[in-house]
Amino acid sequence: MAVSKSTNTYNRQNWEDSDFPILCQTCLGDNPYIRMTKEKYGKECKICCRPFTVFRWCPGARMRFKKTEICQTCSKLKNVCQTCLLDLEYGLPIQVRDAALKIQDDLPRNEVNKEYYIQNLDSQMSKFDATQPSNMALKSKGASDLLVRLARTAPYYKRNRPHVCSFWVKGECRRGEECPYRHEKPTDPDDPLADQNIRDRYYGVNDPVAEKLMRRAAAMPALPPPEDRTVTTLYIGNLPENITEEELRGHFYQYGEIRSLTLVPRAQCAFVQYTTRSASEHAAEKTFNRLVIGGKRLTIKWGKSQGRQGPNDKSETLPALEPVPGLPGTLPPPPPAFLHPFPPQMPPPPNRPNDFFNLHHYAGPAWGAWGGVAPPIPPPPALHYPSQDPARLGAHAHASAPQT
Amino acid sequence: MPKVRRSRKPPPDGWELIEPTLEELEQKMREAETEPHEGKRKQESLWPIFKIHHQKSRYIYDLFYRRKAISRELYQYCLNEKIADANLIAKWKKTGYENLCCLRCIQTRDTNFATNCICRVPKSKLEEGRIVECVHCGCRGCSG
Repeated sequence: MAVSKSTNTYNRQNWEDSDFPILCQTCLGDNPYIRMTKEKYGKECKICCRPFTVFRWCPGARMRFKKTEICQTCSKLKNVCQTCLLDLEYGLPIQVRDAALKIQDDLPRNEVNKEYYIQNLDSQMSKFDATQPSNMALKSKGASDLLVRLARTAPYYKRNRPHVCSFWVKGECRRGEECPYRHEKPTDPDDPLADQNIRDRYYGVNDPVAEKLMRRAAAMPALPPPEDRTVTTLYIGNLPENITEEELRGHFYQYGEIRSLTLVPRAQCAFVQYTTRSASEHAAEKTFNRLVIGGKRLTIKWGKSQGRQGPNDKSETLPALEPVPGLPGTLPPPPPAFLHPFPPQMPPPPNRPNDFFNLHHYAGPAWGAWGGVAPPIPPPPALHYPSQDPARLGAHAHASAPQT
Repeated sequence: MPKVRRSRKPPPDGWELIEPTLEELEQKMREAETEPHEGKRKQESLWPIFKIHHQKSRYIYDLFYRRKAISRELYQYCLNEKIADANLIAKWKKTGYENLCCLRCIQTRDTNFATNCICRVPKSKLEEGRIVECVHCGCRGCSG
């Protein structure tokens, strides 16, 4: 049924007529002065098959002309660019965006169903503000961390380059230098990225680009919180030379109440202990691989869970040592007031104290204090002092510092 | 140029000097007209016609205005007989249009943004290293 635009009146109420396209920055190109042509009902939308207003423009020198491919209803429905079908906010494929924001959509694929659905949606949309995406779920509800990390920071104009000259590929392009197409080796046809399909991309299925991005996201370094729920300490390494404790506190206080902050300037590291586990998890998530102070990217790690690791490791690795003579025995337990030295407004510490310095295994009289145990008498040199064993006291901090 | 010379007026003096060249160009035009279009792009098929048309007009124009080798009568005769394109020659007399390739390339009515053809853009105004070949007549730049 070949009918001209003017005589085809089928469902004409639904034909889209717009004044301005919905486009992303990349598709618009680097030139702020663009001339566009507008053609009313120029093509059918590649998703919903309704006639729509086609815009066509050149996104800068040495770029190919681009045009809008899907109608504005379809574009608003997914909050995507009308031309490249990438998310307007992040520039990522729909499949990645939906997976990261956990959006489920069930757009009808059947022809009649689709027509009805779009028609209803169109009338709904016309009642609301046209500048907002129809699907409110798509508006950033606290930018997804994954999306921010996957998204490009600058527009990717290489996408607008001309296509590869198919004649040149066959070895018979006679236009030579004048050829506006690219005379370059085409991508490998076996490459999964070569097989893309606009409908699949729109519905977010079988999108090879999205799969590649998802694989990249999965391979990104992550910092899983330790299983031991009592660990609320973060190791901060690779600190700049002249950082002060106040500065560090200023950076880390925003994620929650800090119980203690220990700066070890010698090893360029620090330990931040939060009062709650959730705060420390929050801090780890926000700062891991991201926090830059004084031009240095800080290394964030979780403090070690000493309770489990301590005794087992010792029995395996270290030879049995005879106790140091002349040390005072274990003290009687301190009074309850001493056990809770924290002000009442702070939540009590978790069941086991966070002894990441391995201190209280040595039965020192002052657990939690930094310094070693000073022997009362100068001992003979053959004697082993746990406090002076480099493999034991505070070894975790120093051992892990150089590898950052 | 008309296929058949209709006017009975005898050609002015000097005609026999320019006739062989015009005959040659005429022959080339015949060849271009009968050339098959296979293997050519849609736009490309008319390029040789425009080119030979330009050459013929240019020949008369040069003889009269530059070399001053033919009489005004002969020049007028060529224009009347449509051997040379008077409109095209009229443009060549204007500054900036001395080398104009064809009249279509300055026809702004036919374009999207009411602009001239790309071949009318001076080389210095084009971005560096850009090679143009206009779609109308295959001109590669006729504006300095």
